[in-house]
Amino acid sequence: MPSLLGVFEAPEPVADAATRLKNRGFSEMEIYSPAAFEVLDDVLDEKPSRVRIYTLIGGLLGVVTGYTLTIWMANDWPIMIGGKPFSSIPIYTVIAFELTILFGGLATLIGLLVVGKLPYGSFGKTDEAYSARFSGEEFGLVVECSDRDVAEVDALLRSHDAKEVSLVGA
Amino acid sequence: MAPPPAMPVADAMRPALPDGDSQANRDLLRVMEKPSLGYFGLLGITLLAMHVAGALWALMVYLGLGVAGYTHPIFWGAYIVTFVFWVGIAHAGTLISAILFLFRAKWRNAINRGAEAMTVFAVLTAAQFLGIHVGRMWKSYFILPYPNQRGLWVNFKSPLMWDTFAISTYATISIVFFYIGLVPDLAIARDRATGWRKVLYTALALGWQGTSRQWKSHSRSVLHLSGLATPLVLSVHSVVSWDFAMSIVPGWHATIFAPYFVAGAIFSGFAMVLTVMIPVRRIYGLERYITDYHFENMARFILLTSLIVGYAYAIEYFVAWYSAVEPEQTSFWLRAFGPYWISTWTMIICNAVIPQLLWFKKIRTHIPSLFVISTFVNIGMWFERYVIIISGLSREYDPAVWGVYTPTWVELAIVAGSFGFFATLFLIFLKLFPVIAISEIKELEIHAKAHGAGAGS
Repeated sequence: MPSLLGVFEAPEPVADAATRLKNRGFSEMEIYSPAAFEVLDDVLDEKPSRVRIYTLIGGLLGVVTGYTLTIWMANDWPIMIGGKPFSSIPIYTVIAFELTILFGGLATLIGLLVVGKLPYGSFGKTDEAYSARFSGEEFGLVVECSDRDVAEVDALLRSHDAKEVSLVGA
Repeated sequence: MAPPPAMPVADAMRPALPDGDSQANRDLLRVMEKPSLGYFGLLGITLLAMHVAGALWALMVYLGLGVAGYTHPIFWGAYIVTFVFWVGIAHAGTLISAILFLFRAKWRNAINRGAEAMTVFAVLTAAQFLGIHVGRMWKSYFILPYPNQRGLWVNFKSPLMWDTFAISTYATISIVFFYIGLVPDLAIARDRATGWRKVLYTALALGWQGTSRQWKSHSRSVLHLSGLATPLVLSVHSVVSWDFAMSIVPGWHATIFAPYFVAGAIFSGFAMVLTVMIPVRRIYGLERYITDYHFENMARFILLTSLIVGYAYAIEYFVAWYSAVEPEQTSFWLRAFGPYWISTWTMIICNAVIPQLLWFKKIRTHIPSLFVISTFVNIGMWFERYVIIISGLSREYDPAVWGVYTPTWVELAIVAGSFGFFATLFLIFLKLFPVIAISEIKELEIHAKAHGAGAGS
């Protein structure tokens, strides 16, 4: 199936065009953007990003590890220090807090890699439609469509201020 | 502000799109081009300072900590002072990236990358001083939760143990934060680089193409990391302050220490960002991106934190007097009028008096003055830690164990070497990675272009 690439100069027309195309039943789309724009976040995938689950699980794992580590170690070889109980929760909260942040942060990194599917592609290769202009200041919208829809998609992209539309790989 | 004049592009950075490429890319990638002679000269100096310090450290390991000025009753000397100093410097980056991000302060975009890099390098510098300080560096792993030969675990009730966790967490999280922010910019560099740089950036950019899936998870990750890093910033210097405050040394044993240290850390961190970024902006002509407005905002932060720090100095004296505890009162009296009076008054003048000049808008927007004031703040903040640590230990409860400490030339050279280490890392960073977050600048510029608002702020 052919793919059409529309090149835009602003994020809003990309979002509008992609939403229109999606409503017409085109599901295979990709957006290239030089920077983060909120309008583009939910166009292709409305669900909230799953990164938050990673952060949450990492953080919970951290707090549990923090208390378990300290309490277990203090009781494994019990030495009375400063007349404090072996399991001194208020004191160990400092460790538990730091490990919450540490595990939460590392889990967020893993979340980014898994949810964002990074590293992406094979080394030194990019998508066929991708080019350095999308790390410049232009936006790309790639739509996969059947041969008979090419004219329709082309017209729709252009009606949304696409400054050029081309066939990918042509 | 007028854009800087176009300059010839060096081979290593020949853009794939000579005409169509965005101005932000061209301006900011240009910083990474072939270094000038001056750059190599500066790098030579910083490398020399670093290597002299390395050699002296080896000498100290060979001869023992006696070559440092450590003597009874003072066994926390210039190394711990410098450790606390660099941890403080490390606070600006995460503050700018995380807290100002959560507050949606758009002006952070121009300085966050440089500040984050400084954070990472400052933590790395600080961490070395723990090893240098203990003397037998190869035993530093004793501080890790690892049972020794007799199955004895570390003491989690000790603030030094908390510090281990705080500093290593902070180092890890700031590296992660720094790298995640860097990925989109590495893709920009990858698309335009040739040769070994192309290979390096291709590897580090992880195949980033700016697809909506990538951006969405990227934005989410940055948001969550900011949420995690915000309390972390506040906790790290609090924990460092507890290294002192949890003891019963007069002058250390104060509940105000945590907020006082955090404010001081932000104060010194912003000052260091100014000290470094003012020359960088001038040398590389980045006035279009880092405007006077950005520097003025940082000056406001410095003024605010200077007031907090000045307040803390005052309240410490009030509490010492009001407590009616004689050792506490003596300690504070001797701070100002004892053997360490020079350090104390340097600290007060540099940190609490000189920054008051920033009340005047004329001075806040006069870049050379800002540079001078920020340098004074850096000096003052080193002396603050010196005063707290040394004058505290030198005058404890029993006058029979009072003593005086002076840093030896070995210690001072190693302290100077730490600045060399920090500067070396920063200079290498300048040539390897974009010093300003290009994609975040573009976010503002594209937004401004579409909506006709002023760019860059």
